[in-house]
Amino acid sequence: MKSGERREKSLKRTIDLQNRDMGKKLHLDILRLACLAILILLLSTAFIGAVQGADDDDDDDEVTYNDFTLGIGDRIDISNYRAELIEIQSVKDGIAVLQVSRTGGGLDEQRAFLENRANNFIGGAEKGGITLTVVDILDDESARVRIEYQESLGTPSRRASERPVSSGDKPALTVQKSFDKSEMSVGDEVKVTVTIMNMGTGKAQNIKLDDAPPLPEFSYVAGYPPKIKDTLDPGQSDSAVYMMNAIKESTIRVSAIQVSYTDSKDNVLLNSSEPFDIVINPKSVADLAIRMEVPGPLPLGGTGMANISIENVGKAPATRIEAKGDIKPPVGLEASGFERSFFEIPPGGEVNYSVMLSGKDSGNYTIHLKTTFDGGDGSAIREGSAEVVVLKREYKYEYLLLLIPIIIIAAWLYRRHREYKY
Amino acid sequence: MLNVLILGVGQCGNRILDAVNKEAMGGGGASKIAKYCLKPKFPSRVETVAINTAINDLKELRYTTAKDRLHVPNLHGMGANRNVGKQAFMDNRDSIMGEIEKRGDFDLAFVLTSTSGGTGSSFSPLLINELKRQYPNITVVTVAILPFREEGSIYLQNAAFSMRELMELDADGIILADNQYMKRFSGDIASAYDKINSTIAKRLLFLIESLDSEMLSVTDLGDFKTVMNGGLRIGTMGYYQADGKNNSVKDAIENSLKPNNLLYPANVADDAARAMVIIQGSKEHLDVDQITKEVEKITASAGHVFKGIVVKKGHPRVLSVFTLAAAPELESIYAQAARGMQDEKEKRSRARKQLDDAFAHIEDLEEIY
Repeated sequence: MKSGERREKSLKRTIDLQNRDMGKKLHLDILRLACLAILILLLSTAFIGAVQGADDDDDDDEVTYNDFTLGIGDRIDISNYRAELIEIQSVKDGIAVLQVSRTGGGLDEQRAFLENRANNFIGGAEKGGITLTVVDILDDESARVRIEYQESLGTPSRRASERPVSSGDKPALTVQKSFDKSEMSVGDEVKVTVTIMNMGTGKAQNIKLDDAPPLPEFSYVAGYPPKIKDTLDPGQSDSAVYMMNAIKESTIRVSAIQVSYTDSKDNVLLNSSEPFDIVINPKSVADLAIRMEVPGPLPLGGTGMANISIENVGKAPATRIEAKGDIKPPVGLEASGFERSFFEIPPGGEVNYSVMLSGKDSGNYTIHLKTTFDGGDGSAIREGSAEVVVLKREYKYEYLLLLIPIIIIAAWLYRRHREYKY
Repeated sequence: MLNVLILGVGQCGNRILDAVNKEAMGGGGASKIAKYCLKPKFPSRVETVAINTAINDLKELRYTTAKDRLHVPNLHGMGANRNVGKQAFMDNRDSIMGEIEKRGDFDLAFVLTSTSGGTGSSFSPLLINELKRQYPNITVVTVAILPFREEGSIYLQNAAFSMRELMELDADGIILADNQYMKRFSGDIASAYDKINSTIAKRLLFLIESLDSEMLSVTDLGDFKTVMNGGLRIGTMGYYQADGKNNSVKDAIENSLKPNNLLYPANVADDAARAMVIIQGSKEHLDVDQITKEVEKITASAGHVFKGIVVKKGHPRVLSVFTLAAAPELESIYAQAARGMQDEKEKRSRARKQLDDAFAHIEDLEEIY
């Protein structure tokens, strides 16, 4: 049964009660009318005398009112009238039940009050009785009640409930919907937990969750729609979990989940969670950054180490990394240990290795490193390159060139000296 | 091209040879540097050998290469004793001649020697004799240096005997240079020696260049040989180089024959037997008519004169080579040498007599102890 129907039924029942009361009243009213007619005659005679007799009594008949906030069991006393708030039948429909009585008899009635509808007792305030109106149902425990009366009745006062607070008949469910992460990426799995707890004192029945509609930014994997117990005793809780996959980049507001239930009186009660925002980022992928630190110019025939760093600057682990290198031009610079493979580089992780370079011919060379990997969104390629210079043969002894002619001249002079030395 | 051998024998010959090498290097102070970077510029193929028994004399040479210095081992020189020198030569003849043989064949050989010293005066006649024996076709001319007269009787004696031996050889003449005569070049003997050596060296190189040049008027080795065979086969050389003030070739020829430009005191007009006049200079200075007239004038007194004209840029330079029909100065030397020898002999006799007289005092006595 849907909650709307339940509410209607509840309302109908309340009206039937009223109609029943109204039937009883009708018989009484006929009697009253007969009596009233007699009284009117008597009173009209008396009225003429009264009008002629004294004007001072006019002030005592003036009608006034007071508003009181009553909890369950609280009452208003004025003169010999007493009005007690029995219960709040429906906050939503605005129905409260009050018991009105008069000491000395003549009035002891429990009546359901529709919100903002006046109810007269003993002719109402205009006729020396009282008129009661539930002006506002604050919650299912309290309501604001107006009492109208003639000032001659005195001043009304509020009396707190003398009855012990009733317990064990008022369920109160709280519902909470939560994601295990408020920010995720496309492709991420998210766990949604719906938790219901009966914080009230009565048993919650016919518990139903309304977690609709499904969010289009997710694909529902398992557990949806969430299922929980039909009934929860006070203090009990239940939860349901379902799994979703984020499939679309977005910032979305997750609507509230509503729980409906009935109390022991088949009152339909509702509660809902607070809506909240989540962010779905683009899909997490791995991305590799290649850094190559090559040695300075290599002397011809010399060697040097090129240090290679491959860093995962993405948000997903890179797997099956294959690094291959080549050198252009291919002849003149030799490298060993270029090709490497790595199983995985986690996000933020880095692998390093070195390559031995050996310069065979002078010239400018380009070292090119090509890395293929699985970045979480298919295979990807990253490349890096660096320049290496192999110097021409360096002659560090140019200054000897100056000495050579000097040596030659000296040798020549010495030789000539020897030729003439005897 | 002429193949010329120049042998410097003895200290004097060595020094003249060193002067020849120095002049071939360019002469003057520049030759000190030039010898380290240049080769001697000889007009022909010239080989030089310095021969000496005194190693210290060889060490003093500066412009002669070590391989061109031949030491004939004889302890400490000859001591001016020609007999010792002759013996030393004979003892080392093969090595000396072998050293010359290494240098190939030659057309002309100059033997530079002093007539008075030990090695030169004793080696030279024997050496020339050996050269003529081993190389019959070679023209061997001796450049003989006469000593200072005050150098002593032994030197004069050596000069006398050495000259006689040289003249008796079957050689091709002697060119005389007289130190005593050329001493006037300089005040002191040391610088006079250098000047004399340089003068002789320049004239020899001029002569060699002239004999091996393409001439306007040709003189060759044959002419030179003919000249040297004239008269006593003793000759000398005169030389003159005109300066910018007077470029007359006629005057240059006349000046080359003047006594102060000769190596040996001679009177060309009276004593010359044959002559060779070689004129070198720029063409504008070489007036052939003047040269011919001047040569004819010399011919009138000298009998026969070969003339050679070499066109070469510069002021006129004249070299005159002539042989003598008479050598009065030589006679003077011989006379002086003879006197010296006689004096020496008398001194020695007197000393011997005095010594004998002294010994006579103890002739009949015995030593008593």
